[in-house]
Amino acid sequence: MRLSFLLLAGVAYAQVGAEWPSYNGDYSGQRYSALNKLNQSNIHSLSLAWTLRPNPGRAPQGGGGTTAVTIKGTPVVVNGVLYTTIPDHVWAVDARSGREIWHFVWQSKGGWHIGNRGVAVLRDTVYVETPDCFLVALNLADGKEKWHTEICDLEQFYYASVAPIVVKNHVITGVSGDDLDIPGYIESHDAATGKLEWRWYAHPEPGTPEAKTWPSVEAMMHGGGMTWVPSTYDPQLNLLYLGTGNPQPVIAGQGREGSNLYTECIVAIDADTGKLKWYFQPSPHDTHDWDAVQTPVLFDGEVNGRPRKLLAQASRNGWFFVLDRVTGERIIGSEYVKTNWTLGVDAKGQPIPNPAKGPQLDGALVTPNQGGAMNWPPPSYSPETGLLYANAARAWSVYYLYDDGDKPEGWGGNDRSGFSEGMVQAIDTKTGQVRWSHKWPGGGSVRAGMLSTAGKLLFTGDPTQNFVALDPATGKALWHAGLHGNVTNGPITYELDGAQYIVVGAGDTLYAFVIRMN
Amino acid sequence: MRRVASVRFLTVAVQCWARARAAVGVCARVVVGGGLVWGQAGPTVRQDVDPAAALRGRAVYTQFCVNCHGALAKGTEEAPDLIRSPLVLRDRLGNELGPALKRLPNHKRDLTNAQVGDMTHFLKEQIENTAKNRNPVRPPNVLTGNLDAGRAYFNSKCTACHSATGDLAGVSRRIPDAVDLQQRFLFPRRTKPVQATVAGVTGDLVRIDDFTVSLKTGAGETRTWTRTDALQVALNDPLKAHQDLLDVYTDADMHNVVRYLESLK
Repeated sequence: MRLSFLLLAGVAYAQVGAEWPSYNGDYSGQRYSALNKLNQSNIHSLSLAWTLRPNPGRAPQGGGGTTAVTIKGTPVVVNGVLYTTIPDHVWAVDARSGREIWHFVWQSKGGWHIGNRGVAVLRDTVYVETPDCFLVALNLADGKEKWHTEICDLEQFYYASVAPIVVKNHVITGVSGDDLDIPGYIESHDAATGKLEWRWYAHPEPGTPEAKTWPSVEAMMHGGGMTWVPSTYDPQLNLLYLGTGNPQPVIAGQGREGSNLYTECIVAIDADTGKLKWYFQPSPHDTHDWDAVQTPVLFDGEVNGRPRKLLAQASRNGWFFVLDRVTGERIIGSEYVKTNWTLGVDAKGQPIPNPAKGPQLDGALVTPNQGGAMNWPPPSYSPETGLLYANAARAWSVYYLYDDGDKPEGWGGNDRSGFSEGMVQAIDTKTGQVRWSHKWPGGGSVRAGMLSTAGKLLFTGDPTQNFVALDPATGKALWHAGLHGNVTNGPITYELDGAQYIVVGAGDTLYAFVIRMN
Repeated sequence: MRRVASVRFLTVAVQCWARARAAVGVCARVVVGGGLVWGQAGPTVRQDVDPAAALRGRAVYTQFCVNCHGALAKGTEEAPDLIRSPLVLRDRLGNELGPALKRLPNHKRDLTNAQVGDMTHFLKEQIENTAKNRNPVRPPNVLTGNLDAGRAYFNSKCTACHSATGDLAGVSRRIPDAVDLQQRFLFPRRTKPVQATVAGVTGDLVRIDDFTVSLKTGAGETRTWTRTDALQVALNDPLKAHQDLLDVYTDADMHNVVRYLESLK
């Protein structure tokens, strides 16, 4: 059962069509494409169309150096043009040939340059966030800057890496940073002018019952909860859905006793006002850096014979949740990889952390590790199979507490990682059970996004530099292409002139594959 | 969410900000980070911490500020945290802190510009240390287990493959750092290739994925097969047993065994 196909600002609620007009392709976050020219019967005819290896050496990084090029962003394709990014850089290239149309360079004032998740497009404007805390609007046709506006304070060690998304005339931005103890938030900006419309902080208002999940207002106001990954959106409910990041201090949590709302939460936010509608907390009082920011995927289904509007997240802590996205009620909660850090679940169905598996002065053996069972790369959901696909990891590490004082700041501890094995987990959204698991044969895990299509194909990367297609029903490996590096972004697909393209980023290179029907 | 990033600063430019000069009366260094590989937290142009000035600044801070703002500038019930202070974070060489000290009630108004400047070095040092405190610190002591319990565990669970007088004799001399010893006990490194048999041919595994498998045979030849449903592939990874044990160990087992291994001098 699906919502009707609703076109809004060029981005549909669900099902990606011929274009890929936003980070997730549509508002649902399913990363499921209705395109089926490419399918299991002709996958072996898929051929390389073009590659793009951006060379920022031609375009110096702000500050005088160069940035390590890793394409982590999901490209956006509109009107035959593909937009791709690395920090401080946006390229518009011909989606048929990969030839550059324009290249925008931002002169940076600083900030971590660990990655950029991509652009948003609305009418004649491209929006991108910069590591030094700006939202920049570019002219779609030639990449000239229209305006920029500050979205965070670089002096407080914030930075920006997320892809903005456009909802109506709002540009929704997120923020990054976990070096110092600063609060996370999202903002809405007027798409035409960049003017701030609202800001929602990932903490309660002082004096509210939820504020009692912190020992003090000061701890709460410096409690983290970064918004690393773009929201999904339900146009009928006018609600944005996003996950929030780890509380601060990151590892040493003894100065922030309590569940630390609204860090590590899945939240529903009114898109026009920024008001919180509901929250659900996958990792109360986290001390493992397990940001609950994995894309909240929207889909509809039946629960006990009644149609429900649902949301699913394969969270970094190893747990899978299905929620009612109208109310936040938990429908399903289960482990999608085996973990060892919980004492069960509370009345809301939220995991209860085992204090013994928090960081210890002499170490605690914990799974998952800090990288998590999933990290930021996007999952995919296929409405045909009802499965959510996660390129997952089962990994172990020892968590150490470095600062056992009353008021640690920053991190105050860390983990040291050990064994890790990677696999694609296909999670049944009706039961929460893993329907099939495709282990990568050589061991090791990879941070690669997922794409499913109506051609009964599931694309992702393996840990040995292959771009692979699996059968979404069984996990059987169908096709691969050896790349120069592991997949580092979420693959996309689009159709032009009757040909279906598949584009994926691996390290410093974007690869476009194509199936031509004539 | 993140990474261990490499940061290198290639150039240190001497700059003198007009406002900083006005506030402090001296021209001091502000770092311009160049050659950034991954960037860094915060702005590229920032105050370079002068350790000698920070030491002098600590003395000023201890004399006039510590009672209210705390020994490490993390604040008390009397006064705010200065590491988290936007004013201190924005400050360059006292251009914000100097005027604030004169403006705010109950603050030392007659500090010299040099004293204020020194104090900013101390505060910036605290900030930089906080921003980096995930990595450089080591846990104080991992040898908290029970030696006898560790020996008993070893003798009952490990001796099928290991010996305290054989392969593990003197292990703590070879791995003198107890934290490293703990890591190596839990996650031993691969010292020999995985043995594999493919289509009846046995050798060292070179590479395997869903599509091909490669072995190096005893003759030194590297052979690769395309994987099909019919192709028989068998792997023998000695580390698999250690990986499986991670679901079995308790933290007490871990600490006890590490304590025992550390005794094998």
